[in-house]
Amino acid sequence: MDLSEKLILILSGLPTTLAISILSFLLGFIIGLPLAFVRTYTSKPFQILVDGYEKVLRSVPEIVTMLFLYFGVGGIPAFRFPFKNSFFVATFALGLRSGANQSQVFRSAIRGIGEEQMVAARSLGLSRLQAVFHVMIPQTFIIATPGLGSEYALLVKDSSYSFILGVIDMMRRADTVRKTSLDTVFPYIATALLYILLTFPLATYLDSWGSRKKKELGL
Amino acid sequence: MADTVLECRNLWKIYGKITAVKDVSLEVKEGDIKLVFGPSGSGKSTLARCLAMLTTPTKGEVILTGENLTRSGVDLNKARARIGFVFQHIWLFHHLTALGNVELGLRQVLKLPKEEARERALQALREVKMEGWAEHYPAQMSGGQQQRVGIARALAMNPEIIILDEPTSSLDPELTGEVVDTLRDLAQKGTTMLVISHEMTFAREVADEMIFIDEGAIIERGPPELFFTNPTSERARRFMARLIKRTRRE
Repeated sequence: MDLSEKLILILSGLPTTLAISILSFLLGFIIGLPLAFVRTYTSKPFQILVDGYEKVLRSVPEIVTMLFLYFGVGGIPAFRFPFKNSFFVATFALGLRSGANQSQVFRSAIRGIGEEQMVAARSLGLSRLQAVFHVMIPQTFIIATPGLGSEYALLVKDSSYSFILGVIDMMRRADTVRKTSLDTVFPYIATALLYILLTFPLATYLDSWGSRKKKELGL
Repeated sequence: MADTVLECRNLWKIYGKITAVKDVSLEVKEGDIKLVFGPSGSGKSTLARCLAMLTTPTKGEVILTGENLTRSGVDLNKARARIGFVFQHIWLFHHLTALGNVELGLRQVLKLPKEEARERALQALREVKMEGWAEHYPAQMSGGQQQRVGIARALAMNPEIIILDEPTSSLDPELTGEVVDTLRDLAQKGTTMLVISHEMTFAREVADEMIFIDEGAIIERGPPELFFTNPTSERARRFMARLIKRTRRE
């Protein structure tokens, strides 16, 4: 097996790595954005629920969540579908934690915008929900962009945990290359570089875009 | 006799141990220009916010053209749309252009179609002489320009009254002039206004009544001439003396 064959084999895991990262990011977004607003604008019991969710998901190691969902939940006959599907579990577990992370990112963005924008919107007669949609969310996105970039990078890296469930991603392919070619150096260096390529440019771009936009708009 | 647009009766706002507004009653009739002034921390802003129902009063009533807004079950969003509000620190929406700022309420609250909202927003910007800045973001404007857009944003909704909470006090002195000019234009058009301000030249020119507030309560009220010549209360007299001295210095 020459180097290009090894590289091609590793790259064949790339679509799966990307799929897990992107889907879990989207799931995290769908969970995190509403949670941030619930945490900011609703009453105490809801706030406690959101805090609890965030604390648990952020404290438990990703690998524990994955194994628990796969073997624990997936072991219950009624939940065999979809929890015996390792791709699903990996994406779902990462998405749940990303929801907790993104909730925090969005919440601090909301706090950064401050109550003033809300009051100004309400003074025009907008309802709280309208103000959230037309005034708070657009600004929240801009402020949260750098944080979302880091979150995405984290998901790309952590998607490699799915290896333990048998998902055939980039990490898994690298390990296969190591086993079959007995080359213990190249597969890991190549994979490391690929992870850097997947994370660093996008995260850096989002960081600078967000910071520039923030400055331009005086946010 | 003109109809009453906005009034409050025995209004109180209490935050824990602090009484911000103490038993205030006032009435603004159509075309009236009321000027509220007093030392900082005297509760003027809280009063303004209560009148616009941006803060719920602790006790008392706020009545907008006969409708009691402090009663439960009132659609406050609808009521707020009929009361224009201009903030001391302006608070334009950062992510929207001048036009976007003015259009938002027209589109989302009054539900005007796109074209009509745009037309009306541009008209409002024209009235504050900011139509040339329609496509600019707040961060690209001076404070005075921002505040004029803030006024346009309130004006475009065609409110029954505009409440202005110290519209010039967060601006650099050289920028207050343009905003005061805008207010003067509004006054000339007969806009019903309640202005919190220490712009004494403006007050003397346009106010129908001046209301002096200290420690949350109305201490003295009357036509500008009263305050400029001979305020009855000692507190108003001292405050006026300070203001006039400051105005001369500027």
